[in-house]
Amino acid sequence: MEGKVSRASRKLEASPIQELSQLAQTCGAINLAEGFPDFPAPPHLKAAALSAITADFNQYRHVQGICHLLATQMKDRHGIAVNALSDFVICCGQSEAFAASIFAIVDPGDEVLLFDPAYETYESCILLAGGIPVYVPLSPPHWSFKKDELMKYFTSRTKALVLNSPHNPTGKVFTRDELETISEACKIMECFAITDEVYEYITYDRELHISLASLPGMQERTIITSSLSKTFSVTGWRIGWACAPANIASAIRNIHVKITDSAPAPFQEAALTALQSPPDYYCSLRTEYEARRDYVVQILSVLGFQVRFKPKGSVFIFAELPDHCELSDIEFVKKLIEKAGVAAVPGCGFFHTTPQPQDGEKYQRRYIRFAFCKSGETLSAARQKMEQCVNEDGQLSF
Amino acid sequence: MILSSPFTASGAHHYEMPLSLRSFTSLNRALLSSSSPSSLLLRGSSLVPTMAASSTTTVSSTDAAPQLNQSTPSPPPVQVAKRLEKFKTTIFTQMSSLAIKHNAINLGQGFPNFDGPDFVKDAAIEAIKAGKNQYARGYGVPDLNSAIASRFQKDTGLIVDPEKEVTVTSGCTEAIAATILGLVNPGDEVVLFAPFYDSYEAVLSMAGANIKCITLRPPDFAVPLEELKSVVSANTKAIMINTPHNPTGKMFTREELEFIAQLCKENDVLVFTDEVYDKLSFEMDHISMASLPGMFNRTVTLNSLGKTFSLTGWKIGWAVAPPHLTWGVRQAHSFLTFATSTPMQFAAATALQTSDSYYEELKRDYLAKKAILVEGLEAVGFVVYPSSGTYFVVVDHTPFGFENDVAFCEHLIEEVGVVAIPTSVFYLNPEEGKNLVRFTFCKDEATLRGAVERMKHKLRKR
Repeated sequence: MEGKVSRASRKLEASPIQELSQLAQTCGAINLAEGFPDFPAPPHLKAAALSAITADFNQYRHVQGICHLLATQMKDRHGIAVNALSDFVICCGQSEAFAASIFAIVDPGDEVLLFDPAYETYESCILLAGGIPVYVPLSPPHWSFKKDELMKYFTSRTKALVLNSPHNPTGKVFTRDELETISEACKIMECFAITDEVYEYITYDRELHISLASLPGMQERTIITSSLSKTFSVTGWRIGWACAPANIASAIRNIHVKITDSAPAPFQEAALTALQSPPDYYCSLRTEYEARRDYVVQILSVLGFQVRFKPKGSVFIFAELPDHCELSDIEFVKKLIEKAGVAAVPGCGFFHTTPQPQDGEKYQRRYIRFAFCKSGETLSAARQKMEQCVNEDGQLSF
Repeated sequence: MILSSPFTASGAHHYEMPLSLRSFTSLNRALLSSSSPSSLLLRGSSLVPTMAASSTTTVSSTDAAPQLNQSTPSPPPVQVAKRLEKFKTTIFTQMSSLAIKHNAINLGQGFPNFDGPDFVKDAAIEAIKAGKNQYARGYGVPDLNSAIASRFQKDTGLIVDPEKEVTVTSGCTEAIAATILGLVNPGDEVVLFAPFYDSYEAVLSMAGANIKCITLRPPDFAVPLEELKSVVSANTKAIMINTPHNPTGKMFTREELEFIAQLCKENDVLVFTDEVYDKLSFEMDHISMASLPGMFNRTVTLNSLGKTFSLTGWKIGWAVAPPHLTWGVRQAHSFLTFATSTPMQFAAATALQTSDSYYEELKRDYLAKKAILVEGLEAVGFVVYPSSGTYFVVVDHTPFGFENDVAFCEHLIEEVGVVAIPTSVFYLNPEEGKNLVRFTFCKDEATLRGAVERMKHKLRKR
């Protein structure tokens, strides 16, 4: 009966992130692996959800107001003018928005460009749709790419390029220069761009997130995906969206309707409240996350990790193992869980390319991703636990 | 070359996935053209209340509101995936606007205009307050998986492992999508019974399946056994069953299920069975294919919270299947939506633990509603086909002299002020459904009576 499983799904493996989470649970480890908060969701959002349930917003619905609020935000923040009536598809999280977008535009045999390292789920969606993922490596330590190199990855079969910025796992925020390079390539090759902007409000050091669709000639070929989850600490509510020109949005909607049909109704209502949060909310979000970033960067540095690239966005730090450390990333993380009681994610699961000669052979096994979307107490406790496993130089050693 | 299966040689499989890099070799599958889908029903119109879950509207690019930004250059030639080329939407766009314009009573929508029970809503509220707002475990909150397993045991007598055989999804719609995308290969033959809930055909098309369609016909929509037998072979991958059946209300009998089971065992065929209306079974007992001898090991049973507890917007569904099939479902699910709404899962666990008296009362209420509608439709002059389950009834509209179901439904909205669904959209060949329309009775009694009154006064036989 094993032969019954589809070929497409057999290519897919279970999320290593979820696997490790289970190990961490078994060991009672402090979880700095998965990217969701352990602090409460904002009270004004929870109250809105409770009201919605009580007021009977519990049947299938599409809350159009969300689209109007998003359209206003896009105009105000990015100068992108979209049609609230036709350009949005509300989905069960950015996960579903991305999956629906891929299914809407990728035919079997189409190539889709991704920057490497990459969040693992993109590839799986592309494969499920019969597409071919093609990886463009970002070079350590600053996760850069060369303009002239990028074009080499496009072929006549390239249908789309996926851009995740702010970036998971590195915390990179693609600069305007880089976005211009990407946009030029997309326009020359006449392909789509699909963006994952879930960390759009979580940027640091006064760095601002720039939406690829705001660059000249890009709106007409870009599908924007994002969600409430990270901005509002409600990863379990499953409210996300895709935004694209009307005819593309229509195709995405067609797919979405057959995958889930609609996003949870009461949380769509609560999204109206979320999306009307005052500017203060976004300021404190950034400030609080920046403090956490700084704290964790400092701890990791003191413990001997090499943090040569301080994240400019997202809730992750992609730290390189201490120089002296001979363990691979997976071995290190296992020890970290078992001996220090702290869980993080080995970086190898995010890499898909053969290392380039100039980058050295081994870097893909030397990175660990730490999430700092955790309360101060959690981060402090993690530090204390790790400090118990240091050698005479004060560096983490197993 | 495809990666080797996670299953060990002995057939048992393990869940320890390697953390090492995947090595992907290039796909060497020939390009397969997707099968041609018939008209696709979309939901999501911004202006109108959504219609039945299986009939929808969309704001297509042709009737979208004027573009806000006139200076944007026209988009490049659209290159959407071939799988979407044949999806059409216009019928329902028109009908939805008509419904609003004429203030029609909506007996087309497949969801209640009354709300779910307080004890379930309260459980969701408590979960939100208690901070259960972050990602749940991908395949379901443990409490819910257990509750689903317990309920399944009560209903079928089968003991299933909540950890290995239950997967929670965003509604049964997603369970269907995950099952098909996780278990069906391009080119696989899948048997479908028409009329069918429209997502089956759409997702089968997405998966590149080769659909073999068997039509169920009035008056009793019985399964044409010999025709089915002629279509099932060693090449058949799966048979999709929906019982109790949307739109006809038919319930598959034990004889029909045994016949299908026999064919499946002889030809090594899977069964995907959508049982969302199982608690709305009125004229006979609901029978789950999985409970038939030798069938659990080849069956995926799909269900959800929404219809049973009148909370269709919460999107809590599930698939129950043996581990080797669950694996495929979970793979697809994890990349379709990753996880399901957390607080609602906790509330769903509470709901499923409720006593049988809830279900008895549910049936009583719906029977009363059904009586109002059916008696009313008969008095008006429709030929009403017996519906054993679900909250739908299909009727023959031809006494009123319209050439097809869409024309009749338009008239019904414009001149009578009532909405029904033209069933031709539930068939691969729309001609087969042109005499039938579907009414729903998941509305409060005043609404049902109001609709019946309008039809009695304004609907005339020609």
